[in-house]
Amino acid sequence: MSVSRFLRPIAVAVTASLALAACGGGEETSAASGTPKAGGTVKVSFWPDNPNFSCIDPFQVYWIEHRSIIRNFADSLTDQDPETGKIVPWLASKWEISPDGLTYTFTLRDGVTFSNGKKVDAQAVADNVTGWIETVKATNGAAFGASYIQGLTGATVVDPLTVKLTLSKPNSSFLQATSTTNLAITDPAEFALPAAERCTGKGVIGSGLFVLDHYTPKTETVLTKRAGYSWGSELSENKGEARLDKVIFNYVAEDSVRTGNLTSGAIDVAWPRNPFSPQDETLIEKSGKKIEERSLPGVSYTLFANTTAGRPLADKQVRLALSKALDRATYAKTIYGDGYPVVKGAYNSTTPYFKSQESKLGYDPDGAAELLDAAGWTLGADGIRVKDGKQLTVDYPLTSFVGNAELLQAQAKKVGINLTLRQLTPAQQATYLNEGSYDLTSTYFTRADPGALQFILNPDVANSKALARQSSTPDAVVKVQDLFAKALQTTDQKQTTTAYEDLQDFLIDEGITIPLNERVQKVGLSEKVHGFAFTSESFLKLNDVWKD
Amino acid sequence: MTRYVVGRVLQAVVVLWAAYTLTFAILYLLPSDPMELQLAAAGLQLDSLTPEQLAAGKAQFGLDQSIAAQYWHHLWAALHGDFGISLTQQTPVTDLIGQRIGKTLLLSVSAATVALLAGSALAYLATFARWNPLRTFLTRLPALGASFPQFFIALFLIQFFSFQLGWLPATGSEGPSSLVMPVLTISVLNSSILAQVLIKSFDETLSQPYITTARAKGLSRSAVHLRHAFRNAVLPAMTILGVIVGLTVTSSIVVETVFTREGVGKLAQEAVLSQDVPVVLAVVTIAAALFVTVNLIVDLLYPLLDPRISHTRTRIDPEVVTAV
Repeated sequence: MSVSRFLRPIAVAVTASLALAACGGGEETSAASGTPKAGGTVKVSFWPDNPNFSCIDPFQVYWIEHRSIIRNFADSLTDQDPETGKIVPWLASKWEISPDGLTYTFTLRDGVTFSNGKKVDAQAVADNVTGWIETVKATNGAAFGASYIQGLTGATVVDPLTVKLTLSKPNSSFLQATSTTNLAITDPAEFALPAAERCTGKGVIGSGLFVLDHYTPKTETVLTKRAGYSWGSELSENKGEARLDKVIFNYVAEDSVRTGNLTSGAIDVAWPRNPFSPQDETLIEKSGKKIEERSLPGVSYTLFANTTAGRPLADKQVRLALSKALDRATYAKTIYGDGYPVVKGAYNSTTPYFKSQESKLGYDPDGAAELLDAAGWTLGADGIRVKDGKQLTVDYPLTSFVGNAELLQAQAKKVGINLTLRQLTPAQQATYLNEGSYDLTSTYFTRADPGALQFILNPDVANSKALARQSSTPDAVVKVQDLFAKALQTTDQKQTTTAYEDLQDFLIDEGITIPLNERVQKVGLSEKVHGFAFTSESFLKLNDVWKD
Repeated sequence: MTRYVVGRVLQAVVVLWAAYTLTFAILYLLPSDPMELQLAAAGLQLDSLTPEQLAAGKAQFGLDQSIAAQYWHHLWAALHGDFGISLTQQTPVTDLIGQRIGKTLLLSVSAATVALLAGSALAYLATFARWNPLRTFLTRLPALGASFPQFFIALFLIQFFSFQLGWLPATGSEGPSSLVMPVLTISVLNSSILAQVLIKSFDETLSQPYITTARAKGLSRSAVHLRHAFRNAVLPAMTILGVIVGLTVTSSIVVETVFTREGVGKLAQEAVLSQDVPVVLAVVTIAAALFVTVNLIVDLLYPLLDPRISHTRTRIDPEVVTAV
């Protein structure tokens, strides 16, 4: 089966959705705005490092800022075009997928080495596969990479440059998975070390255009240029050595300080997790700096209910009422400014197979009131609904990912839902899901494939099995798993498309996912930085970046 | 004198032990499960483990033992300089602190020095000034300085010196220029406290009869102020100095967070929020040790400045001692 035939349907689906995103802002700044210069150091400021899981090991990292860093020191077998979603050669010059979808044969590019000089050959790739599977086993499926390698059973070396990966059942998102940072190929010697030790960066050696110099959790990560690099994918203009000598990533907690550092020239790139406030955006533009933006593919910023019996949101009608009570257009405009896209479904619009659910996500307070009345929740004297003497109180604990919950609270109150906000410490954030002590929580997940949602909702591969189990009733869990299986365990593109569309309908209809806002990665750039580009996952791509 | 010194040293040791024990008790009384935090740090969730794996994990971290056993184990290790492994960073706590303590000590010592100089100078000027409006202004200035929250001062300084003028870096800890604003931020509060105490004590001392005597002898104003009044007025300020050193430690938590300086203060803040028990224990112990040491030094300096403090047998009138 030829690559292009296999991919065509994906490409079509993705092109349609990406055309929308492309309107949002400059996808790629051409490196042609002057002659690229060699040398220099670029300073990038992120928001704070992961408080509960400091890690830089590709297979285990879910923190998107670190996946941006990994992208630039570890290459993958394939690369993904951000504009078309097409999978293109990288470390693998070509590949073949057997008609039953169970065997992937990759032919590797010759002459590629890790930064320690070892060859990136078939054996190294096969050992990576073994390493990934072992890591998943050692963590009982909780390691982040687990959802990328579903069905993968092992790899065999055919010849020094040919490796055959075998799956026990088809996985239609596996080829895309090989393009991600999570399946980046590293020197397999690292897998001899315990997972936690690898997280510190020990033994983590890639074949990328930069070398991981050091990772000091919560402080900084430094990359230095790899001499002799010459195997960039066709998606970069510059396929050779990096133009920059060094890139320093640090973590700044205060949004205003990060923005101020950019406008005053102390840093070159401000890379916040949540989009800049309209005020900060004005400040950046006034100081002559640029803003680049792209919707992050994957699960949109979504509310997930605790559907455990006895909880108010166990009732589907209450969940749907809550969804109707949300004025998403006002929310997007108020928090992120004019022109910010309004969320249209369970996934962000840049995700392949995205199906808009716009018609079901409109603001409808009357509809919400009707549903609540029908469910037996009647308006009390203080404007909060009551049933059997109990108030309709929804406990929404706030994690560091939640912002602007007060607006949400005000919108819920209009239909008589009392949303109570409770700030959690990082320690509580690590445990509240397991304790089940919440009614509503919010999360998202970044991956240019709908499989992203499995990491939240499928208990078999979810990072938090508690969240996966509590977010939908046991029947719904089975249905979600079934739809994922239909979409993934096939080589028939039509079946995949239908299953993913059904899944998106089902999640919204059942009130399992209550989308709140589209996630846009906004980046503030110094006027001295040129050649900026996003990867297909809206991560930082440094191949063409140079500095005045 | 020996009895005095031995007594003070013993007191210091007891305070240190009490600080460690109290912190240990508070941290272990907190509701969250240290095992779960350990697992989260390794990218795992509690419910992904089988009961056998869970038991093995607990045994590995010593969490299957009784609280008392864990306490003795930790205390014994701490006495040998081993504070265990950070729950959230999987790194030895001594390494985490070792990498940061230099920066924090530099900040603390600089801030304490600046506070001492600025506070003394202000107190001296406030009591020396003859023009009443100036005197009133200088006397009330410390109240203003002590009232500003530190994070506010810090953000104000950043806005002005980093973002507007671009003179000083807003974040980081590289080079002396990165030290200026953090030191200023801490010194505003501490020098104000010091100045307040010194001004009051100066005023009291200056109304003593021996000062009148000194003036009657025809000594100049500055000679009376500096040579005769200062030495007595400085005693209460010495006590405050111990507190100020303690304050620079707590201040460093705020200041290092706002200025993104990788010091022990920021480490402490993060560790408290993520309930990283070994790190919190170590930081509290080190801070307590610093506090106790400075207070011990102050206590031992008292008798040198004021012989009344250790000379319990022979009582000497204060006027006689100081007016010689």
